[in-house]
Amino acid sequence: MIRIAAVGDVHLDEDVVGRFRPALEELPDCADVLLLAGDLTRHGTEAEARCVAQEFGNLGVPVITVLGNHDHQCDQVPQVVKVLEDVGITVLEGTGIVLECAGGRLGVAGVKGFGGGFAGRCASDFGEPEMKAFVQTTKESADALGAALLGLDCDLLVALTHYSPVPDTLAGEPLEIYPFLGCYQLGQAIDSAPTALALHGHAHHGTERGTTPGGVRVRNVAHPVIKQAYSIFHLGDHLDRS
Amino acid sequence: MTAHHGDAPPDEYVEAEIQSMLAEDPSVAEQGITVVRRERGLVLYGEVESPHRREEILRRVAERFPDVPITSDIGVTRTQAPSQVEELP
Repeated sequence: MIRIAAVGDVHLDEDVVGRFRPALEELPDCADVLLLAGDLTRHGTEAEARCVAQEFGNLGVPVITVLGNHDHQCDQVPQVVKVLEDVGITVLEGTGIVLECAGGRLGVAGVKGFGGGFAGRCASDFGEPEMKAFVQTTKESADALGAALLGLDCDLLVALTHYSPVPDTLAGEPLEIYPFLGCYQLGQAIDSAPTALALHGHAHHGTERGTTPGGVRVRNVAHPVIKQAYSIFHLGDHLDRS
Repeated sequence: MTAHHGDAPPDEYVEAEIQSMLAEDPSVAEQGITVVRRERGLVLYGEVESPHRREEILRRVAERFPDVPITSDIGVTRTQAPSQVEELP
């Protein structure tokens, strides 16, 4: 069995430092890894990233993250990534990593993702250059996730995104903003690989559980949705028997 | 800025302007706050990460729309460790 802790949308700044830490100190006893589903900061500044590093660094378990839209706000992504990597946090963007856990090899592929909408109610790659650029971003992001998932050799495969791959976990959000909260192409990428679980954030008013059209379980781990420091998932019972 | 006069209930342009301000004002930067129009004013609800952020939202909205009655139902998201795990067989 592999134990995965996860949370997204923690939006750290100085006023939040220390709030998560008491719960995070328990992680080595209850999880093999902590996955962060983006929106680590409020505005994506280097200073806010240092708050994230202070809160989520040196936890005694590996920490893997993707960035969210908030983490892009101030155009300081390289600085944010460097601050996080300096404390050992792995930042995924169209990339993946395999961890040797006690229960088996856990593969995590991650991408921020993008909006676009869901089947039959989505933006099209047509018309003005701005619209084409929008949808092209959606497609490139999903393609990168699919390639990263298929490139991992592991016992258990997890997809980590900020934007949602399915509409199920958006229930509670206004229908009109679904195209800004996720896209079906991410779900398609997840279904193209033997993915066991997909985790995302971004939808603060959404709901926890959903599945892709291919049957992969999806969990929205946005902090305002889970209402605790992190959720824990136990997967891969079959690994204990093999 | 959209004008708001006297006792008239806030219209949807005021609602839209407050929603935009919540997301775009750097001192707020919240996309998870919902603005609901009621007969006598606006209700703000959602969750933020600290009491300071909740106070800042109310301060900024009151500063920019001093004539709009605002009711706050904004919570601070809890950060306790989970008491249960989800088994995914």
